[in-house]
Amino acid sequence: MKERKLRLKVAKKKSYKRFTRSTAANIIFVSLLLLAGLFMVLPLIYSIVTSFKPLDELLAFPPKFFVTRPTMHNYTVLPSLLDNLQVPFSRYAFNSLFISVAITVGHILIAGMAAFTLSNCKHKFISTVFWGVQVALLFNGYTLGIPQYIIFSKLGIIDTYWVYILPALQSTTGVFLMKQYMDVSVPKALMEAALLDGAGYYRIFWNLVMPLVKPAWLTLALFAFRDAWAIQPSGTIFSESLKTLPVAMNQIAASGIARSGSVMAATVLLMIPPIAVYLVSQSNVMETMSSAGMKD
Amino acid sequence: MKKSLKDFSQKKRMYGRMFILPWVIGFIIFFLIPVVQSLIFVFSKVSIGDTNFDTEFVGLANIRYIFFESAKYVDNLYDALISFSYSIPLVVALSLIVGVLLNQKFRGRIVFRSIFFLPVIIATGVVMTYIQGDATAEAMRSGSAEMSTNGIDVTAILQGMHLSKEITNFLVDFVNRIFDLFWDCGVQIVLFISGLQSIPEQLYEVCRVEGANKWEEFWYVTFPMLSGTTILVIVFTAIEVFTDASNTVMRQAYTAMQQQIYDQSAAMLWVYFALVGAILGLVILFLQKAVFSKWAT
Repeated sequence: MKERKLRLKVAKKKSYKRFTRSTAANIIFVSLLLLAGLFMVLPLIYSIVTSFKPLDELLAFPPKFFVTRPTMHNYTVLPSLLDNLQVPFSRYAFNSLFISVAITVGHILIAGMAAFTLSNCKHKFISTVFWGVQVALLFNGYTLGIPQYIIFSKLGIIDTYWVYILPALQSTTGVFLMKQYMDVSVPKALMEAALLDGAGYYRIFWNLVMPLVKPAWLTLALFAFRDAWAIQPSGTIFSESLKTLPVAMNQIAASGIARSGSVMAATVLLMIPPIAVYLVSQSNVMETMSSAGMKD
Repeated sequence: MKKSLKDFSQKKRMYGRMFILPWVIGFIIFFLIPVVQSLIFVFSKVSIGDTNFDTEFVGLANIRYIFFESAKYVDNLYDALISFSYSIPLVVALSLIVGVLLNQKFRGRIVFRSIFFLPVIIATGVVMTYIQGDATAEAMRSGSAEMSTNGIDVTAILQGMHLSKEITNFLVDFVNRIFDLFWDCGVQIVLFISGLQSIPEQLYEVCRVEGANKWEEFWYVTFPMLSGTTILVIVFTAIEVFTDASNTVMRQAYTAMQQQIYDQSAAMLWVYFALVGAILGLVILFLQKAVFSKWAT
């Protein structure tokens, strides 16, 4: 490990030398990046700016990009708007947070365990299962909506938290990412050594494999949290007290165009948690993605 | 001795099963069974009750219906395939360019990489709906609006150039979708960067010794070495674009589903997936056999 780091360091130093360019090339390079980067952040900046606009500027025509008289009104009015909701706002927030955390933790565990088996067993059945995983990546929810609903009602989990959590736990993307990463970064010799030293499979999984594949599950946490945070029930939840933040936001939005500033303010606030998770896992994302591209 | 070995491998197998069991159960209940059921829907007439549904086998009637009687399915399918034929190469090319740029060593590249990954994190669900729903944001996202380009109307310019209507429409559509295309690139850029970083430094050294310029370096080293990554990116982009809820076929099928015409909706989606899967398979096969293998030797 240490040697590898050292080698990386040397390689880095070398490649710094490689990219010395003329000034003109540098200018072209930087402006190209800035232009492309602008495309990426413009909508984000716009929604932040808009959330500070007073009402007359929001409705001004032709619309202006920047705010001339910024105000906090859109944010300060949020609590009173939220009082009009059918159940307390804290309840929606709790639901979203609880569901997101439960899905993220559960998904990492289940996907990690499945990937542990897939990565270590060289059985024909196992490779068939993995093939199934890859095909499943092609499908999306729409096709399965109705049959899934019927299964939910047979299991009796309609109108409970389970209806959010259970179907999200076995997402196939996670198993795919974890398996690819384990193949590359967990040396078989290390596992054999642990087995010889008398460690059980649980111990190997918890104390050896999971720490080694930390970048993979941090990446997975980011994706799982992002998806879970945006969950909206579609016909599977009836009690208002079990609904999520996006639903509360739709209610604010439903109160008309005069509230569009507050909707933007709420949107900006809703973006914060996924971005926070991203900042935590940021450096690991790149590493995991690189192993997904390698062939086994 | 022999017995204990057998015990050991049995134990290993038992643990293997135990570890994979939770996922397999979930996969079967929430994925496999629904998939099989929706496949049954394709070939039957479905009537839904409160907690159950009746299916009556009707053979290929649903498929015949969507192709010969449904008003828009074939048109939608055609539109969707046309828009894929340019959006997938565009996304792949854009992310390759940005990936190469971001792979250079310069100050603040971590910040830039984060910026390009940002849409992947926030562009889901409600947040995106409201960013898109806002009229001004919408106008800004579609570059043709007056405010963002200071009164330059792209459509008018193109019509003034006496281009054919198809080309005009294509270009306008392209300009309108520039934001969407850029926002689709996040994961692909990361994939390309990691692909670029796995290219051995020696190859570039050889290039410099032999006196190749940067352009030749890109086409003879970087691009061929990225072929594996490129195929992965193509597959990823294709899945992203094909299953995007905003494309014409998905929208039609979803509308049908909301009108509770489940059998036809299932037929639409399955025909679409089969077609898309076949095209994707052929494209990848072609790339592997005809294009990338040239460099392999």
